[in-house]
Amino acid sequence: MSSFFFTKAPPEEQMYTDIKSLNKFEEKAFCQLVDVVFSFLVSPKEGTRFMSQVAEFAGEHGVSTNALKNVVKSLLNFFKSALKSNLTPAQVKEDMEHLGLSAENSPHVSDRWKANLVALSRSVVGQTFMVNQLVDMEWKFGVTAGSSDLKVVGQTFLQLKMVVDRGGTQEDVFMELTLPQFYSFLHEMEKAKSTLEYFS
Amino acid sequence: MAVALDEDVFPPLKLLLKAQSKEFVRTLFHEAFRYRNDTVPISVLKNVATTLDAGLDDAKQLLESLISVVCAALFECLMEPKAVYELFPENFHKNLRELISKIIAENMPLWRTNATNEQVSLPKLIDFDWRVDVKTSSNAISRMSMPTCIMQLQVQENATEQNSMPAVRRLNVELTKEKLDTMLDGLGKIRDQLSSFPNSN
Repeated sequence: MSSFFFTKAPPEEQMYTDIKSLNKFEEKAFCQLVDVVFSFLVSPKEGTRFMSQVAEFAGEHGVSTNALKNVVKSLLNFFKSALKSNLTPAQVKEDMEHLGLSAENSPHVSDRWKANLVALSRSVVGQTFMVNQLVDMEWKFGVTAGSSDLKVVGQTFLQLKMVVDRGGTQEDVFMELTLPQFYSFLHEMEKAKSTLEYFS
Repeated sequence: MAVALDEDVFPPLKLLLKAQSKEFVRTLFHEAFRYRNDTVPISVLKNVATTLDAGLDDAKQLLESLISVVCAALFECLMEPKAVYELFPENFHKNLRELISKIIAENMPLWRTNATNEQVSLPKLIDFDWRVDVKTSSNAISRMSMPTCIMQLQVQENATEQNSMPAVRRLNVELTKEKLDTMLDGLGKIRDQLSSFPNSN
């Protein structure tokens, strides 16, 4: 038995069956199905759209929706593992052929893999969890005209509201900055930005 | 422009004539500024009473008068001794009037700064730090290179109890490059607007 790039453990029988069953589709239909799968991988939040696309495809090509769902599941599993291991298009093609995909259809998979690779990785990286993510920032600034202590103050203030995602719940944090603080904050954030740009 | 102070504010001030030194009068004004929004602690009153050889009630009245004068001068921002001088009635002790005017005027810049810093506000930003991480691997993808910025903000909450330091809260947030860009965009807008009125301090 030959080894695979996308997984170390030997794949289940079901995966071979599912991938082989893809051979019965014509080239055009096959490409369409692969596109549907990729579009879901790129935007995983569109679950309902994906399910309706799969059902539509099943109806168009006269296959049972449930059977097609299994095939699609295997495809998703394959691509997710492939993504995890950062496979090259050539490796994807080779693995697909090992799993039983015909030589006519396998180049389409590797082409589409190549075309979508950047979007796919970006989507996966984007899904990586973040701690206390900053969601939104609102600000206002103005001049304190007077107060109970001083008739005329004339000091500039800046107020920030930051919305932070605390794992499901959003929290609003308010703070007030003086002008020198604001300028040093801006300066530091610009430094952070240039550091970020250096690494990306 | 004269500020109207009640007539009965002035008589207790005559007690200051008993003071041994100008330095002590200065200290009294500092106490008056410090406790202008609170009750004066009994220990301070006792100290004043013994030094000036007066009763506790007299000391209390003196402090109240001092606070009234300080608050009036502060509110109107009287920077010149002459302006403070005007606060007093014509028949007030001349030398004492001059001394008080001088003390108040020389302390005014400091008091003003303090009062501005203490004024009512939202929670204040005290300090902030940041660090940049590069994420290299995760459960979804074995290799990646994704820089993120972690920012810690130290925010001082509003004090809820008297005589205790308000809690300082640390807030850690993670920013992607896009979020940081958006934030800097907002901050840049603020800067542009601020620079459009040159007289801001």
